[in-house]
Amino acid sequence: MTIPSSTPLLALKGISKQYGHVQALSGVDFQINRNEIVGLLGDNGAGKSTLVRIMSGVEFPDSGQVFRDGQPATIKSRKDSEKLGIETIYQDSALVGSASIMRNFFAGRELTKGLGILDTHKMNAIVMDILVNMVRISGINSPDILVEALSGGQRQAVAIARAVYFKTAMLLLDEPTSALSVRETAKLLEHLAELKREGVSAVFITHNLYHAYESCDRFTILSRGQVIGSLAKAETSVRELNDLIVKY
Amino acid sequence: MRQPIVNICLFFFVLQVICIVASLLYPNDFRYVSETNIGLLLRAIPVLGIISLGVGVLMITGEYDLSVGSVYTLAGYSIALLFGMGLPVWLAVIATLAIAIAIGVTNGLITVKFAIPSFIATMGAMLVVRGVVRWLSEGRTVSFKPDETFSGLLTGAFYGIEAPFIWFIGLALLTGLLVHKSKLGNHFYLVGGHEKTAIAVGINSHRVKVIAFALASLAAAIAGILSITRVGTATPAQGIGLELKAIAVCVIGGLFLSGGRGTVLGIVVGACLMYMVEDVLLLLRAPGFYLDVFVGAILVVAVILNTWLTRKAGK
Ligand SMILES: Nc1ncnc2c1ncn2[C@@H]1O[C@H](COP(=O)(O)OP(=O)(O)OP(=O)(O)O)[C@@H](O)[C@H]1O
Ligand SMILES: [Mg+2]
Repeated sequence: MTIPSSTPLLALKGISKQYGHVQALSGVDFQINRNEIVGLLGDNGAGKSTLVRIMSGVEFPDSGQVFRDGQPATIKSRKDSEKLGIETIYQDSALVGSASIMRNFFAGRELTKGLGILDTHKMNAIVMDILVNMVRISGINSPDILVEALSGGQRQAVAIARAVYFKTAMLLLDEPTSALSVRETAKLLEHLAELKREGVSAVFITHNLYHAYESCDRFTILSRGQVIGSLAKAETSVRELNDLIVKY
Repeated sequence: MRQPIVNICLFFFVLQVICIVASLLYPNDFRYVSETNIGLLLRAIPVLGIISLGVGVLMITGEYDLSVGSVYTLAGYSIALLFGMGLPVWLAVIATLAIAIAIGVTNGLITVKFAIPSFIATMGAMLVVRGVVRWLSEGRTVSFKPDETFSGLLTGAFYGIEAPFIWFIGLALLTGLLVHKSKLGNHFYLVGGHEKTAIAVGINSHRVKVIAFALASLAAAIAGILSITRVGTATPAQGIGLELKAIAVCVIGGLFLSGGRGTVLGIVVGACLMYMVEDVLLLLRAPGFYLDVFVGAILVVAVILNTWLTRKAGK
């Protein structure tokens, strides 16, 4: 069976999620198409992170459906989302600071020689190869460096390199630039463009509309848990996006 | 690779050299390098050392176990009473270890399922298990006299090296393999380093922690069995305070209370250091309170140094 290229990679229909009295999401429709970077925009507390957590299996919606390539799917755990090719880079916790680059890179997906014994040699070689040849992070010369010794930009690069290596279909980035310098941010946006050339789709959450406009193909705007618009880049402008977010 | 461990090893080494030189210079006043003294050290270190291995693994996942001192004593009573009832010694060992694992799993489940601090959960277990020991013992000591083969294996000597020390090193190597070279070990560090991230990459942090709790309890029971086999008796109040001593050993060895850091080598050196200081003070005939002062000072200085070095390395 071949899947027509117009079928979304991932489609969410009527997703609702309540936290106590807070209706974080109500009846949200959202989709990620093939080879597309979607900007997920909205004010503080709009529900962006909640939607990302639902797609990555950390949170389960109260109601709604998920389709992968048009087929119904369930995401109840991180393992489920991993099987669907979803990888997340969180606002606050993409990597463990006190662990080395290699141990973060393969966290939860360690290569073993059998009996649960790590194949450290092979993992080190892979990490160095990816970091040097693919993501081209400067200043990293050993896979044993602790992540806490890296700059914010280098950390994001490691997380992105991980997504590339594990052949992620969709990368979800929740405010990846919030702690980055101007130069690191520019570098990250470059990585995003590179990822797209590699055939990876992405969801990009940011409060910086210029960054969003520069790197995204389409925008979905949330306000108080509801989708108030989904626009292609060609049919909108930074100005219009700004007005939409502020008005609601 | 990891700063604190270099530090502690260096300190240990320097102290070792000073003691050996001093003992060669003053062979009559300071008998550090004597067969009796070395034998004493090699017999003393393993009990606390083995407990610390378990406590250390748990500390790497970011949790504590205050019940290990009680489990240690319970293990002595359990093996002695079961053996006294006519059970073959090996069955008594297996039953005792199983009881310890059950206590550890219970500690772990209570901690993770009710999301309460392990400090509190295991403080409860410390009191409950100690109470059980008092009830079992009716306040009396118990003796344990297994056959020669068994006691020889646990407390004899091989090529002049005390068996308990060999057990300690063997268990330390196993722990090192688990913690530093296995997948589960990597999960210990990731869960202790940042639990949210570990969960986000699909690691079952609850399972990982429960296993660590079980290992801490298991180690305490092994130490308890080793101890009663060597001494032949156990008293209901023995082992009180071991839980804090074990945490001190781990901290001196470069582990962090916050989890996610440290090495097994650090735990081993920490345990040796702790007894070396005790031993040196004894040899110098220093009054007992000096020991507390010294251990207390080393503990605080070690933590300050380790924190400072880690912060510097993280820059
Ligand atoms: N674990 C939680 N428990 C209770 N309420 C929550 C929880 N997570 C989110 N919420 C609430 O749900 C709503 C949506 O939060 P969410 O984090 O998804 O917003 P966001 O769009 O990511 O905001 P920001 O731009 O500030 O990151 C908010 O009102 C928030 O307070
Ligand atoms: Mg958010």
